[in-house]
Amino acid sequence: MVSWPHWLVTIIIVPLVGAVLTPVVGRGRPKVIPIWALGIMTATSLAALMLIIRVAQEGPFSYLVGGWARPYGIELHFDEFSASVGIICLVGWLALLFSYHYVAETIPARRVPYFYTLVLLNLTGMIGFVVTGDLFNLFVFLEILSLSAYALVAVSGEHIAEMAAFKYLVMGAVSSIVVLLSIGLLYSVTGSLNMADIASRLAGVEQRLPVMLALAGLAMSFMVKAALFPLHIWLPDAHSIAPSPVSAILSGLVVKVGVFGLLRVYQIFYGAGTYDLTGLNTALVWLGAISIVMGAFFAIFQEDIKMMLAYSTISNIGYIVMGLGLASQYSLIGATVHIFNHALIKGTLFLAAGAIIHKTGYRTLTDLRGVGKAMPVTCMAVSIGAISIVGIPPTAGFLCKWYIALGAFQAGKPAFGIALIFGALFIFIYYIRMVNSFYFQKPTHPEILEVGEAPLSMLIPILVLATLCLVMGILGRIPISFIEPAVIRMLGPFGG
Amino acid sequence: MLTALWNNLDYAAPMMLFLIGLYAVIAKDNLIKKFMGLNIMETAVFAFIMALGVVDGGSAPIIDHGAHAPFTNPIPQALILTGIVVALSTTALALSLIIRIYEQCGTIEGNELRELG
Repeated sequence: MVSWPHWLVTIIIVPLVGAVLTPVVGRGRPKVIPIWALGIMTATSLAALMLIIRVAQEGPFSYLVGGWARPYGIELHFDEFSASVGIICLVGWLALLFSYHYVAETIPARRVPYFYTLVLLNLTGMIGFVVTGDLFNLFVFLEILSLSAYALVAVSGEHIAEMAAFKYLVMGAVSSIVVLLSIGLLYSVTGSLNMADIASRLAGVEQRLPVMLALAGLAMSFMVKAALFPLHIWLPDAHSIAPSPVSAILSGLVVKVGVFGLLRVYQIFYGAGTYDLTGLNTALVWLGAISIVMGAFFAIFQEDIKMMLAYSTISNIGYIVMGLGLASQYSLIGATVHIFNHALIKGTLFLAAGAIIHKTGYRTLTDLRGVGKAMPVTCMAVSIGAISIVGIPPTAGFLCKWYIALGAFQAGKPAFGIALIFGALFIFIYYIRMVNSFYFQKPTHPEILEVGEAPLSMLIPILVLATLCLVMGILGRIPISFIEPAVIRMLGPFGG
Repeated sequence: MLTALWNNLDYAAPMMLFLIGLYAVIAKDNLIKKFMGLNIMETAVFAFIMALGVVDGGSAPIIDHGAHAPFTNPIPQALILTGIVVALSTTALALSLIIRIYEQCGTIEGNELRELG
């Protein structure tokens, strides 16, 4: 069953078709819609599981869509990095479960089917993005996921939701166009769109200027998608305005697409072998370090809890990008594992924040004082998420930050390791503020103590993710040993 | 310099269009104008990629009795067809967002929207 070759195309087709059919299936039967969406995601997760087992057993493999060999056909390629489909399916599934009550109570009934369509399309885009081996296909999936993300930000119907979505759309669309331009430039010098093929042909290219332009364009636009510091301005509004399950997907998964794009670009250029990437690496390390500090700095002054979490995402993207830029074996392992762990942690935090806001109707720290006594389980999940994101052992966040710091020493740049630890201290400050006001301060609104726990459909996803935050800290060896061969293969002769 | 630009007009012109579009996106306050800038950028990239596939004196790559080499490269055309669909859906989404913004705030001028908060 594991070796059935068509799993790789199934994992894209099932959610894509499921998404488009959602409004049809749900016509006149609104109760069926969430169950249908969950069923589609369950089937997708099954395919993801099969693919991950196969890649763990036999290493990377490819699927030629329609049987056309490269460079003519579209190739789907599944390597250890593509195992991110696992986390996409997991967080996606839990966010859909969370939506079960949440959406029914916050979004107008006629929009509900389209909400599920958009979420499924968004997940399809991400899954396609990480499994494709073709640059143009990469662009198409990037657009599927970006467009659905813009629409999902607007769907909440809150006061400035459309404005936030428009800001996100303008920045996102410009970066998408630059991706397309860069792909065109790469095509003009190599005559191929297949990533592995481009990597092998780039080595012999004499015209370096278009290649360098393409590299710069791809790096810049993926930095916008990842919301790295000077290009982050779209993120805080979009992530805090969106409905909470969507925030969890956007913050846990969608921004990672930018990082993943950078990873793919690195794979191509390391594969080509003859390009000096020191300049890009230095830029990424510095921007990463600045993002860590500035993200944390802005977060300290936020009152709105979702806004705080959104700025915290910028810090964490900084960690991942810094790990990529350090380009040593440890830092790359740390960065790739942090892609996975941060999705778990931020998923926990955003879903828990969503449950709190949904039950109490308040969203600022002052208003939410004392909520820890009213919603003990949810607030415990927030605390677990907070200690994981700061990186206190033995939680999920500790391990990746430790590896990135080790990588900084391995790459001979210890100053960045120290910057990273100071960044963690900054992050500690504002999460302490959050935990302090939830548990130890006198309630501003006494009626908040009467609020009960969230319904089970919200509690289960929060608890599953919070448990995983702890479990992944203790079993951290598993993702690290899983990703290690891929990192060594990618760094190749550059491995330090 | 100028001769080089003239000889590569099919690449230079899209690049200029691209920069004009980028200018409009950054500098214009009106949301519709901003978005027109974005459309100009998209068109510029499409033109650039189309120009990659052109072969002097090439014919359409359809194999029938009258077919004769050289053929133009059909891949950029196929790519741009997809690209246009993507651009169209982006435009549709953006315009509907602009309509909603207008309904809620009564203006689509960026500076006035900022004052509204």
